[in-house]
Amino acid sequence: MHQELHVQYRPGFKRDSFLFQGIIDAHADQHLEDVVRRVSSPTVELDFSGVGRINSMGIALLLRSIKSLKSEKQAEVQISGLNQMNSMLFKMTGIFLMAKEVSA
Amino acid sequence: MIVFDGHEPATIVFLGNQLAGCGVNAGPAGLFPDNPTVQERTVTGSADKPELIDELLAVIGDHDQPHTLLCQKTGLMVDEMLENALYAAPRHDDGSLLFSKGQPRQLLPNEQIRLRYCFDGSRLALEVRDTWGSLTASQVFNFLALNTATAIPDPERAGRGLFFMWRFMDQFYVSIRPGVETVVGGCLQLRPVAG
Repeated sequence: MHQELHVQYRPGFKRDSFLFQGIIDAHADQHLEDVVRRVSSPTVELDFSGVGRINSMGIALLLRSIKSLKSEKQAEVQISGLNQMNSMLFKMTGIFLMAKEVSA
Repeated sequence: MIVFDGHEPATIVFLGNQLAGCGVNAGPAGLFPDNPTVQERTVTGSADKPELIDELLAVIGDHDQPHTLLCQKTGLMVDEMLENALYAAPRHDDGSLLFSKGQPRQLLPNEQIRLRYCFDGSRLALEVRDTWGSLTASQVFNFLALNTATAIPDPERAGRGLFFMWRFMDQFYVSIRPGVETVVGGCLQLRPVAG
């Protein structure tokens, strides 16, 4: 599993998809800003299947980015590829209130 | 109350904190296993964190789904405990943060951070202590109240790391000797994963 975060952009028809690999923490700031900047489609899929750990700072950055995607880009945000722990964290922190989970 | 992962939130025990009505010099003795298998590591800087987490994950092993989940929880708990000690604890006299989160740093000359752990095959005890003693009992309660009061997502909400520790750990405890030492610890149990 990667430690440093990598984000792979996968454009699609009316859909932007991003595959995250690594750890999401305080260092994810720039990566997540880039994700928001690149989105131009009405639907965005954030695929976390390559993510090991997301800490509290990473959750804060994700919340901020998803809020921006919805308010600035008017995008519907979909989430996929969560492991069991990260799925619990998303429930606890209300991320699923802003973005719906879909199958990868 | 929302219950995650099939167990109730941990009990908070404050020791050595005047606000909790205990003696200031009391320590968290008795809450952490006292046996020869306890491992202790001294942290020298933020760069030690990945190595320490990897060490713990190797001790637990990735044998099956319950172990995988325990590894995931352990990684997050150690991450949050060390982040607290490295970035939230060090404060100027006016209470402002000395270091920003994510900033690589070495420990200061008089600063110490120690990680202790013990895994008996089914239960992992974890403890991190720093030499700041800057956290207060009211902050801990406020952070937990803030994060349990509402499900509305808020990126700026404080104390999320402490909230995660409280939610995932059994027998979570915080021991504060103001200006001297903060000890945060608890246990993670290997549990069958619901099918």
